[in-house]
Amino acid sequence: MNAHRACDDFHRTNELRPLTRRQVVGLGVGGGLSLYLAKAMPIQRVFEAAAADAATSPSAPVLVSVFLPGGVDLLDTLVPLHAYGRYADLRPNLKVQGVPLAGTSLGIHPSMGRGINGGVKGLYERGKVGFLPGIDYSNPDLSHFHSRHFWETGLITDRSAPGWLGRWLDRAGGRDNPLQGISMGYGLSPVMRSGRAPVAAVASPGDAGFWIRGVWGDAYDEAMAAYTRLGKVNGGGHALSASREAARLAKLVADRLSPYAEHDGNDPLASTVPYPEESDFGERLRYLAAMISKPLGIRVASIEAGADFDTHDNQSELTDLLGEVSECLAAFQADLEARGLSNRVLTFVWSEFGRRPEENDSGTDHGAGGLAWVQGDRAVGGVLSEYPDLNRLDRDDNLQVTIDFRRVYSSLLEQHLGTEASGVIPRAGAFGRVALVK
Amino acid sequence: MFWRAGFGATPREARHWARRGKGATIRWLLNGGPSPAPRIKAPRIDGHRLDPENEWGHDVLWWLDRMIRSRHPLQEKLTLFWHDHFATTEQDTPLMLAQNKTLRRHALGRFPDLLEAVTRDPAMLMFLSLANSDKEAPNENYARELMELFTLGRGYSERDIRQAARALTGFKAEWHDNGNVEISYDREWHDAGAKRVLGKVGRFDWKDVLDLCVRHPAHAPFVVGKLWEFFVGTSVPRSARAHLVRVYRGSGLRIRPVVGAILAHPALYRNLDAPTMVKSPVVFVAGSLRTTGQGIERDAWTWLLDSMGQYPFRPPSVAGWDWGASWLSSNSMRVRFDFANYMIDTPRVGVEDGSTPNKLSPKQAVARARRAVGNPWTSAATDRELMRIARRVLADEDFDERGDMCQRVLRHLLISGPDAQVH
Repeated sequence: MNAHRACDDFHRTNELRPLTRRQVVGLGVGGGLSLYLAKAMPIQRVFEAAAADAATSPSAPVLVSVFLPGGVDLLDTLVPLHAYGRYADLRPNLKVQGVPLAGTSLGIHPSMGRGINGGVKGLYERGKVGFLPGIDYSNPDLSHFHSRHFWETGLITDRSAPGWLGRWLDRAGGRDNPLQGISMGYGLSPVMRSGRAPVAAVASPGDAGFWIRGVWGDAYDEAMAAYTRLGKVNGGGHALSASREAARLAKLVADRLSPYAEHDGNDPLASTVPYPEESDFGERLRYLAAMISKPLGIRVASIEAGADFDTHDNQSELTDLLGEVSECLAAFQADLEARGLSNRVLTFVWSEFGRRPEENDSGTDHGAGGLAWVQGDRAVGGVLSEYPDLNRLDRDDNLQVTIDFRRVYSSLLEQHLGTEASGVIPRAGAFGRVALVK
Repeated sequence: MFWRAGFGATPREARHWARRGKGATIRWLLNGGPSPAPRIKAPRIDGHRLDPENEWGHDVLWWLDRMIRSRHPLQEKLTLFWHDHFATTEQDTPLMLAQNKTLRRHALGRFPDLLEAVTRDPAMLMFLSLANSDKEAPNENYARELMELFTLGRGYSERDIRQAARALTGFKAEWHDNGNVEISYDREWHDAGAKRVLGKVGRFDWKDVLDLCVRHPAHAPFVVGKLWEFFVGTSVPRSARAHLVRVYRGSGLRIRPVVGAILAHPALYRNLDAPTMVKSPVVFVAGSLRTTGQGIERDAWTWLLDSMGQYPFRPPSVAGWDWGASWLSSNSMRVRFDFANYMIDTPRVGVEDGSTPNKLSPKQAVARARRAVGNPWTSAATDRELMRIARRVLADEDFDERGDMCQRVLRHLLISGPDAQVH
């Protein structure tokens, strides 16, 4: 906990006035201080190093972003039992018998009870899930790509920009560890795209290593040394620099993960908790939980569910889509608990928008006012935002937005990652805060 | 230019067209015609021909084979462009292959013809829920992407989408017992009432809506800008855009003259000594095979493409793939490194034990490796590293396989290194 408060102090102090030696020591880097000063390192660098040290400490909090792509329907996932008549009018074919959620007037989709310990519903009942119905932004854009881009960057802009977690790493992360921001998959999630902080994409940690067919010994070492040096060459325009940086990071990731590769039938990343079989999403969550348990310095992670929630003409599939999500997330939480990590890992689950209240026969079109939730031991449990009023739709017949996603981002940054939000989310003060973290 | 307009040149193509100059080369790229055909073997997997409809991954191999052996590479490159532009995914393979043929047929033709063919294409009708969208409950999925991704980008409202969705109703899909789907148009299902779309009012049907979209002022700048980005890798400068819009409108919305104007534009030639675009996985894989003269002889290319993040016929969403530097995550770079392991195991690029004399000079060794991988562009930094490796590996005279091993390392790095990922 002290570690991430230090990051916070660092930024505030850094912005307002020059640093004193006492403050530096106060950050807990006294041991390394003389060394840094001996090298005549600028004081700014000392603090960057301090922040980086804090960032990789084994007790540092970890934030996991889980994206449910396509636009998750709010009404059928958290059913408004208090307005069931109106709901049934809007959804004559699709309506779901929600299972009442204790202490609320809402019912949860039965599939959300699937999985270990009663799935997401079970987590809710144990006070480990805080739902955020009606989440979106004002004047919602119903394009998947625009809306997703806004959520990924935390900015309402058409322009290309680093992701909000990438920007957090630019500010609070280190300069040498790509695994501090890990995107579980083949490509890098736009959420994790950074300006200058190294970040990594890992599909399967077991095969992140390098080899060259038919080459060994000194020749192999020469080859990898050359590859590593080529990754560090400067200049050469945007495309070539990107290519060299990718080579450098790929090699760094391989080196850092090499101790955890499976050998002699022994898997250092094995889990004691059963995850759903044949789910890529579950498998990646399993890898992630295992990697967080190792000293890899993971601070933020992003992962995408394999499901497609864009249920224009097949909303009946919601049963299976939510079921898989529930099973996987419940297993992940149980795994974190078994590994003793659940007090520092917080999971944030989101989708790019919600769906139209009125069905189109077999499905629903894009709408506003979706659903997100926080999950973990440190999550504030309950329903944390106002449920949209079904009798007061907006001028496009969509749900009213009751909480801005940037309020949630700002709250996560401050309450969980310990960084003042305005350094990451522009005009963060304007969005207010919601208590998400105990 | 061969990399931008296609998938790289075979050494014969490069020699042939270098003698004939830029103008003649662009004319050939645009129109096809006589050229030294790549001498690349027809595909064989485990001794058999490809079976793109039935065998896993053969659909991808079938298209890769077209890219590497094509005598009209620009047509294949544009087919890839349109596959990204009209991205369709997760439909039955026969439908996807039929759509691929449709995209190829219209790749350089009139955009309105292409758009009409895509709108009634069964894979698209199924993917974007236009099939069985009827007047009782018009589905907005296709109407939205038609405006946002296919024709306009901006300049329309939510109301335009909803009204256009009404006009687009009437397509019907029926499944037969053999699993095939039949598409028909049913007037009873069509909403024949008046609609207001993009500022015009009428009893529009689906063709009217397509027409309204391509006549909209936002359409020409949108589509020429996207083509420019595909070939040049940057957003289009204002003056170039104005020129391309004139070319596009003046030709009756034809694609070929626009692409011709882009390929002739000086911006494409500004940085010939330092490539400025990241090769997409498909361009990287197809180009590595074409420029080394290696035909399809294994199915690993399919899953390697998937792992690199570009699985043809399965784009991640209707928006297609994210192009540019985002191809190069730390993971996809590692897969490209692994791809080189497969390349140095092929007949054309592989090094048999005992095939390389140990007495080659470092310079000769590097030249030999460069020839084997099609003389790719390399930076000065890479040239230095290759020479250094050759010197060191060949200097170990106690090591009997030093010639072969040196070749493998050099060829691998010429395919896996940072320089080989850009064009």
